[in-house]
Amino acid sequence: MATMRARQKIRAPRRGFASAQKTDDFDSIWTVLSSSLTEINTKNASALSFEELYRNAYKIVLMMRGEELYEKVKTLEQEWLQNEVQKRITGSISSSLIRSHKSVDVQDPASERRAAGEKFLAVLKGAWEDHQLCMGMITDVLMYMDRIVSGDHTKPSIYVAAMALFRDHVLRAAVSSDTQTNVANVLESTVLFMIQLERAGHMIERPLIRHCIQMLEGLYETTTEEESSKLYLTILEPAFLETSKEFYQAEGQRLLEIADATTFCRLASQRIAEEQERCRYTLSTITEQKILDLVDEELIRKNIEEVVNLEGTGVRYMLDHNQIDGLRNVYELNARVDKKKEALTKQVYSRIVELGREINASTTLAVQAPALSTGEKDAASGEKKSEKGKEKEKPAANQQTVIAIRWVDDILALKRQFDNIWGKAFLSDQGLQGSIMTSFSEFINMNPRCSEYLSLFFDENLKKGIKGKTESEVDTLLDNGITMLRYIKDKDLFETYYKKHLSRRLLMKRSASMDAERQMISKMKMEVGNQFTQRIEAMFKDMTISGDLTNSYKEHIARSGDPDQKRVDLEINVLTSTMWPMEIMPATKEGTVQLPCIFPREIDSLKQSFEKFYLDKHNGRKLSWQASMGTADVRASFHRSNGKVQRYELNVSTHALIILMLFNDVPSSESLTYEEIQVQTRIPDHDLIRNLQSLAVAPKTRVLKKEPMSKDVKPTDRFFFNNEFQSPFVKVRIGVVSGGANKVESLDQRKETEKKMNDERGGSIEAAIVRIMKQRKTLIHSQLMTEVLSQLSARFVPDVNMVKRRIESLIDREYLERVSEEPPTYGYVA
Amino acid sequence: MAEQSEYVTLVSYDGFEYILPRSAACISGTIRRMLDPSSKFSEALTGRCVLENMTGIVLEKVCEYFLYNEKHKDQTNVPDMEIPPELCLELLMAADYLDT
Repeated sequence: MATMRARQKIRAPRRGFASAQKTDDFDSIWTVLSSSLTEINTKNASALSFEELYRNAYKIVLMMRGEELYEKVKTLEQEWLQNEVQKRITGSISSSLIRSHKSVDVQDPASERRAAGEKFLAVLKGAWEDHQLCMGMITDVLMYMDRIVSGDHTKPSIYVAAMALFRDHVLRAAVSSDTQTNVANVLESTVLFMIQLERAGHMIERPLIRHCIQMLEGLYETTTEEESSKLYLTILEPAFLETSKEFYQAEGQRLLEIADATTFCRLASQRIAEEQERCRYTLSTITEQKILDLVDEELIRKNIEEVVNLEGTGVRYMLDHNQIDGLRNVYELNARVDKKKEALTKQVYSRIVELGREINASTTLAVQAPALSTGEKDAASGEKKSEKGKEKEKPAANQQTVIAIRWVDDILALKRQFDNIWGKAFLSDQGLQGSIMTSFSEFINMNPRCSEYLSLFFDENLKKGIKGKTESEVDTLLDNGITMLRYIKDKDLFETYYKKHLSRRLLMKRSASMDAERQMISKMKMEVGNQFTQRIEAMFKDMTISGDLTNSYKEHIARSGDPDQKRVDLEINVLTSTMWPMEIMPATKEGTVQLPCIFPREIDSLKQSFEKFYLDKHNGRKLSWQASMGTADVRASFHRSNGKVQRYELNVSTHALIILMLFNDVPSSESLTYEEIQVQTRIPDHDLIRNLQSLAVAPKTRVLKKEPMSKDVKPTDRFFFNNEFQSPFVKVRIGVVSGGANKVESLDQRKETEKKMNDERGGSIEAAIVRIMKQRKTLIHSQLMTEVLSQLSARFVPDVNMVKRRIESLIDREYLERVSEEPPTYGYVA
Repeated sequence: MAEQSEYVTLVSYDGFEYILPRSAACISGTIRRMLDPSSKFSEALTGRCVLENMTGIVLEKVCEYFLYNEKHKDQTNVPDMEIPPELCLELLMAADYLDT
């Protein structure tokens, strides 16, 4: 602006109109200033003019004597603090405060000490606030000086300097001339004492302490005022953490001794909340993390394991009594100190395994029991029997099925219980879920029959369990089962059993709902994979094709115009032999080929007619007839002794039909011996006995009479047609004893299944080895093992020895060769 | 002191009084501290500041600047304020004194 109007005259400022009246003398101005500053210190500022003080300071600075003024103000403040403030504060420190500083654990004069402490804190707080306010005002007044003198940062501003004075001459002042104790020490011990009181459950004056803490936070060790040099951090916090540590060590011990686990966790959580609150309202928030870490370390980490394992009240007790809240507390505490929650995980794991073992044990016990007492097991299986009603089965086997299903139910109940706990108490923690899974898997696989039992569970439910249930209920039921399947290691074994049970369901039309069956399969597919369900699906496909085949055969018959009026309706199932479990086809079972049984004339012609029809359609196939799997509806006439004729429709197995047809040619008074029947029908012994039992022994379906009357069928027994047969229903279903229902295998069957299983596994292992070797060409033994195990683990856990044997056998058959011995390495032979 | 008046009075050495909004006067650091209600100086209590080392002419220009500043607070491209050259030194000193 001056350059723009350079020509204009710049008037020199008129000087001295203000200072002319008064002297420019430094001393006189200082006298005025110092008396005013004292007025400010004694809170008498309202009579003072800010402008006048400011102008005086301004003038001194203009005289270039600002630094002198700065020093003089400092001296003035120092004297003021030493003479007035310090006296007031030391005066407020009663002897009890000093005494108890020396020995902190003197507890007797607690209330006296507390009152004295509060008084002291109040005085200190007042002094601090006054000092802050006054220094604020003085700094304002001396603003001009501050700008000039401290502007170049060589000196701290007058405010900072005054704060340092307060620190040195008030806080660091000795309480009395004969002790080392200074005010800060007393403050520290008082605050700690107050906190101790609060921890013991007393109410204390929180805001008061908070103010004193704020004072310490506002003061620094150095004039540069770094964060880390706050007096709070250098004086009080370490002492606080130290006492807290001692306190919580003792507290942990005390709680362990007197309290149970639930109480411990509750109190610990409470303590944590308390400390958080204390930091927020009494101390400083910067301590929060530190004290929480300390509590975690001292109170929780050192004790959590003991708490978890506490006899009678620990986690185990909580799990047993479903104490969600308690468990949640334990979980939260454990989560604070340990990401993996090791202590808790371990306990949960072992408890689950223990409970699982109990279930397993009770099952084994129950399995052994029926052999001993028949009466008991009847009572036990009463429920089941009433359901089964007409089915006549050997109670022992039946009982085993019940046990199997109860085993699954028990496990599912346990699983539900733990899922509930996991969701509610463990906040769906990933690590714990894993632990729960492994523990379930461990004890489930401890039961060697787990696969079979689970399959029986499905079988039972798909047969009748789902009747009268809504879709969603069925869905949950199946999902539960699938969850268990997830735990089972030997999935191939399960597949075998499932196929066996499924085939019975399909062929005997026992399945309650085909929809549910399909649903089940799609669920399995999702869980275990495509490969697993392939064969099961193929079984369904066979069933559908067979339905079509039956229909087209009927049409074919109708077209060909068979004159035979007494024609038999045929419903046929053509099964692909590789897809279906082989043990349901007895002809191949015993190694020696058994001659097919002799069908009666009517049936035989039907059979031939169908064979011709089928082979016309599909060239080069071979049909083998499995009479043991079929059923037939027969209309039978019973000539009563009084001359009446009673008709019943009997639903019997194909074998039973063949037997009954024999009696068509036998006069009613005549009889056939067991041997005669066998020769005429060529039904295998095993099947024949069972069928005769169901026809002649079972009380409700006694179509034949046997001589002598006994439970067992002996080769010498004679059979008569029972014309006196009575039944309340027109349609009578005659089940085959222990043939139709799926139940637990006997020991022999079991061994056989295992043997077959092993063969099949051997094949899978070889296939896997060849697959891997074909890809890798050469591979070290240990690597090959790992790869094989990982490839197969989805289906079953292969036995290492078995894998070794398979490798040997592949080498013998020259699929593989040994490439080197050290380390053992194999090569693929193309 | 409960009710703070919205206006304050600035008085010059030779007795001229200027009444202007508190917010405008507080552009000056010195005046702002002078009027700070937490420090109970007489100026804060009365809302009247006597500036002993300024003449009416200078104070008038100062007040003009206060209002000018407040009016154009958040704007850019503001026209310059008219400053008579003969006053500029005195105004510089006043600015220093008032911490503006």
